[in-house]
Amino acid sequence: MIELRIERWRAWAPDIQDDAGWAAWAASPMPLHENDSQPACELVPPMQRRRLSRLARIVMHTAWPLCDDGEQLPFVFASRHGETTRTYAMLDEIGRDAPLSPTQFGLSVHNAIAGQWSILRGQRGESVALAGEADTFEHAIVEAATLIGEGAKAVIVVVAEERPAPAYDGWIDDVPCSYAVALRVARADAPGAGTRWRLSLRGNTDCAAATGEPHALRFVRALHDGAPLDHPWKTRRWTWQPIP
Amino acid sequence: MLHSAAAAIRGEAGISGNLEIPMATQTAAQHELAELIVTSLNLESVQPAEIDPDAPLFGGDLGLDSIDALEIALAVSKRYGFQLKSDNPDNRTIFTSLRSLSDHVEQHRAAA
Repeated sequence: MIELRIERWRAWAPDIQDDAGWAAWAASPMPLHENDSQPACELVPPMQRRRLSRLARIVMHTAWPLCDDGEQLPFVFASRHGETTRTYAMLDEIGRDAPLSPTQFGLSVHNAIAGQWSILRGQRGESVALAGEADTFEHAIVEAATLIGEGAKAVIVVVAEERPAPAYDGWIDDVPCSYAVALRVARADAPGAGTRWRLSLRGNTDCAAATGEPHALRFVRALHDGAPLDHPWKTRRWTWQPIP
Repeated sequence: MLHSAAAAIRGEAGISGNLEIPMATQTAAQHELAELIVTSLNLESVQPAEIDPDAPLFGGDLGLDSIDALEIALAVSKRYGFQLKSDNPDNRTIFTSLRSLSDHVEQHRAAA
């Protein structure tokens, strides 16, 4: 069981631009749509921005304001599918016996975005890049809890997915649109802003199909309505409970 | 911005702000290569026509680095049909400026 405090959070989706947009989405759930837009990322100087993929831009835009310039905070990047756009482009080149772009190759690895965060934000501490299953979000929170347990005053957690190329239809069915959820997570038992949550894990024996909506986005809704969440996935059953 | 910075490098800054010597005009081949560089490196803050043919491509105002050199070599090989090898001892000369790179491309490009 993990208890923690969500000090601040931000989220991004192609057709939701601000906190009011997320509040409206949480109040009357509407499907999220892909429209290939990406954040302008004007905080990042152009010569550094040019090497950010769309997924990296979404991550930077969403997480940036949660970490002050003078702070050093551990960073947890979690994505089930990662840089599918870069890897698909490279697979296409390999299929045509064409040479690979060194930039695409170097930045396709799963920890590339965590590395770019470190460089752009001057972060010299721990960073973690995770890829799990449909409960990648919960695994990211477990990772943050261990970092807090080791003494971090707060941890930046980002869960991000980019809608993959149509060639992946039939294999990837849990990314309704590109999105990112960034959380600033801290100890539950220290004073601070935000809401407190308890995350528990037990074995799952239900055969019920998992919800199609990504767990991180369901958590954004819970951050608005304060309702508990039940996230079964294969043999694992995660429960989120708000702590009054 | 690149105009005036290049003029400054050529030693014009001390004369007068009004006596800026314009950069050499790009040839058609240089302009085509400049467009390829801007596109392949995703230089959203640079206009191809702003790249001074005689300004240093690397370590100068343009701000390019060694990964960019590899990326330019790849883009040139795809567009012009010949290989720019990373172990060519003349690379330092070839990659000096837009002019030197364009001269090299024009000498070696595959016949259209």
